[in-house]
Amino acid sequence: MKEIIRITIALTLSCLLAGLVIGTTFIFTAKAKQHNEHLNVQQTMLGLLGYGPQRPAAPELQLHQVHRYIVKHNETMRMGYMLPARCSGGGPGYVWVELDLKGDFLDRHELALTPEAALSADDRKKALAGILDPGAEADFADTMIIACLGDRRTAYLLPGEFPGFKTFIKAMVALDADFQLLGLEVIEHEEDPGLGGEITQDYFKNQFVGKTFEKLKHLTVIKEPLPADYEHYLKSMGLRNSGLSESETADIRQRYKDQDIHALTGATISSAAVTNGVKAMVKKFAYRIQVLDQALADGDVKVLF
Amino acid sequence: MKHDVKAFWMLMLIIATLWIGGCEAPNFIKAAQFEETDRIVLTFAGPVDPAWAEDPSHFTVNEKPDPDILLDIASVRLSPDRSRLTLTLVDPINQDQPHQVVAKEIVSEGRNLGTQSVTVSKPYFGYLVSILIGALLIQNFVFSKYLGLCVFFGTSQKKSTAVGMGITFTFVIVFASLMSWFLYQFVLKPYRLDYLQIIVFIGLVSLTVQAVDTVLRKINPALFKAFGVYLVLVIANCIVIAVPLILADNEYNMIESLMLALGAGLGFLLALFLMSSVRERLDFANVPTSYRGLPIAFIVAGLFALSFMGFSGMSIF
Amino acid sequence: MAATTKTNMQLVVNGLLNENPIFRLALSMCPAVGISTTVANGLLLGVAVLFVQVFSSCTIALIKDHIHPRIRIPTYTLTIATWVTVIDLVLAAYLPVAYKAMGIFVRLIVAFAIITMRLEVFACRNTVAASFWDGVGMGFGFMFGMATLGAVREVMGMGTLLGYDVLGFRPMLFFVLPAAGFFLVGFMMAMFNYVETLYNRRAKRGS
Repeated sequence: MKEIIRITIALTLSCLLAGLVIGTTFIFTAKAKQHNEHLNVQQTMLGLLGYGPQRPAAPELQLHQVHRYIVKHNETMRMGYMLPARCSGGGPGYVWVELDLKGDFLDRHELALTPEAALSADDRKKALAGILDPGAEADFADTMIIACLGDRRTAYLLPGEFPGFKTFIKAMVALDADFQLLGLEVIEHEEDPGLGGEITQDYFKNQFVGKTFEKLKHLTVIKEPLPADYEHYLKSMGLRNSGLSESETADIRQRYKDQDIHALTGATISSAAVTNGVKAMVKKFAYRIQVLDQALADGDVKVLF
Repeated sequence: MKHDVKAFWMLMLIIATLWIGGCEAPNFIKAAQFEETDRIVLTFAGPVDPAWAEDPSHFTVNEKPDPDILLDIASVRLSPDRSRLTLTLVDPINQDQPHQVVAKEIVSEGRNLGTQSVTVSKPYFGYLVSILIGALLIQNFVFSKYLGLCVFFGTSQKKSTAVGMGITFTFVIVFASLMSWFLYQFVLKPYRLDYLQIIVFIGLVSLTVQAVDTVLRKINPALFKAFGVYLVLVIANCIVIAVPLILADNEYNMIESLMLALGAGLGFLLALFLMSSVRERLDFANVPTSYRGLPIAFIVAGLFALSFMGFSGMSIF
Repeated sequence: MAATTKTNMQLVVNGLLNENPIFRLALSMCPAVGISTTVANGLLLGVAVLFVQVFSSCTIALIKDHIHPRIRIPTYTLTIATWVTVIDLVLAAYLPVAYKAMGIFVRLIVAFAIITMRLEVFACRNTVAASFWDGVGMGFGFMFGMATLGAVREVMGMGTLLGYDVLGFRPMLFFVLPAAGFFLVGFMMAMFNYVETLYNRRAKRGS
């Protein structure tokens, strides 16, 4: 009996000690984790817009986050958008806009939400709880980022995920104002190293750059090997000393502009997954942003983008 | 006797109620499924009006998470018996997503049955089987995920040992991962304690092993004699802790978790069996001295891993 | 085994060569095959294992007199799990990209046989200082093994080393493929065995 008590006490003590150590570490790292993740996303976004260590971002560049929700009330469904907009007081703030499924403007509310708080899902939920009808439920769907220089829209950034060959692939796509592809960044994937894992390589990702919206709608994967000059061009894209003269670059760009995506060797399924994923993301976004712009004009919402 | 008659009529009444209720089931659309890459087939409970059915504007199709984006319908075709309807879409369907089909103002035998909607998705059973086969063959934990290697090489010298280890392991992993799934979903996640997952899962695994040990010793001493020795080794196997971690990372429900755990266990059993069959024969082979024992076993495992790569990309459902 | 009589340096060398966890003891093979596709991955996991091994060894050596013999193994597990959680949280917070590349393997350190084995064989019988050096030796031995495998696989498979292009072409894509890890570990083990037989033969001839 004495033994058992001693063992129990010893185990409890060690568990408590372990809990203390882990708890302390968690408290110390939680903030840093959030901060670093945020920083990473920020860097990815700037990178996609063409900014980097050599080319710092313009000071007037602004990234506006628009959060989309699906609102369910009884049996009806609506789309809810949380947008940065000019409030009644004149200052910048967040506005909640509801559209019906056809895209007609229904309703607007001003939210007590600062841009910093809007980054956290919990704070957004709290702000929403105050204005939704009782019984209505808002499910977060996705976020899109609209990059503006001054009051001109320069680009759209779409984070998204789609099924890959093994698990989900998380990616971010950048579009210019005419929905032409500016770039693609693979953020997270679990494809096989050396095969599907090559989707993170420049020579694959950069094939998407410059595809027009019309081309993108019907983009497919072809199994032909990548031509050597094209591969060199893709790899050197964005580098200073690419080894190609300007006319050569322009020539290659022109020649392969309407080319479909060359599949990676031994990873056709991964390549097709990325192509289809990007295609679906862009198509849905292009439809939604046009509907949203129309609705915002109808509802006379003064958005910041 | 009177009692029996009463009971009989009660039963009849219940059956009749159910019958009528069944007949007037609110949904006239009996089934909906994907066909080929761009078609959805609806099956109705009775014949529908061809004039109504042939008009594409009576139907809308959307992916369930995107109710605001309607997909374009290219054509609608009704079968000769007027109860099967094929919707062909302009673009290929993303069949991994459930789709919602709404049929407006269904007309059948001159009667208007109102608007009805139905969800189309891949058969769930097929999804479960694909998880099982995925863990068993395509993503075999030993040959494609390289987990549990220490125990794998340690116990694959003889077929009998290998099978014993595999069976014991399958039992333990199914129990342990179901328990940790419950604990994670109902305690760790709601209270935001998921940073404690490692310590909790390893504790649970040891607990399961201890419990199996105690129970088996009492209930079936013969079986305990056969499998007891492997129980200790189970804790040293990474797979047993990897499966709960994978379950925690992915949002699987209980049945899906069960399938993954079962696939992992059976996959380990399969790997052990294959490997031990080869190693029993290797004993008679003339292997260079430096390669005797583990090195040659590794090379055999490499060959197995190569052949298991052939399963990758396989999809059954 | 009684308390060790080896010097600190001998303990470290022991972990690096004579009792190299990967090639000699053949423990913790899972990461050796799974994560050694690049040098950077191998090194980082090596650092994590070094950290867990050293801290666990020291903890156990520190409290060895207070551990009740019947709960020896649970205490080891608890200690290891604690330190693994710590390094897991730290890596996830400060090196998110590399952490994601290693996937589940950081959390799986908790099941690496090498760490429990060193606690059982060494730390519970020796002083804190000796356990520290033994932990360092084992950790570096693991790191060395991972880095070697990683280097061969990265150079042969991708033509790069630590991410820098060294060859300019890809000699054999095969080496980054999963199966190649098994082959390579097998070859390396055979090589260690061969060197050992040569060494023993020479030693015998010398005497």
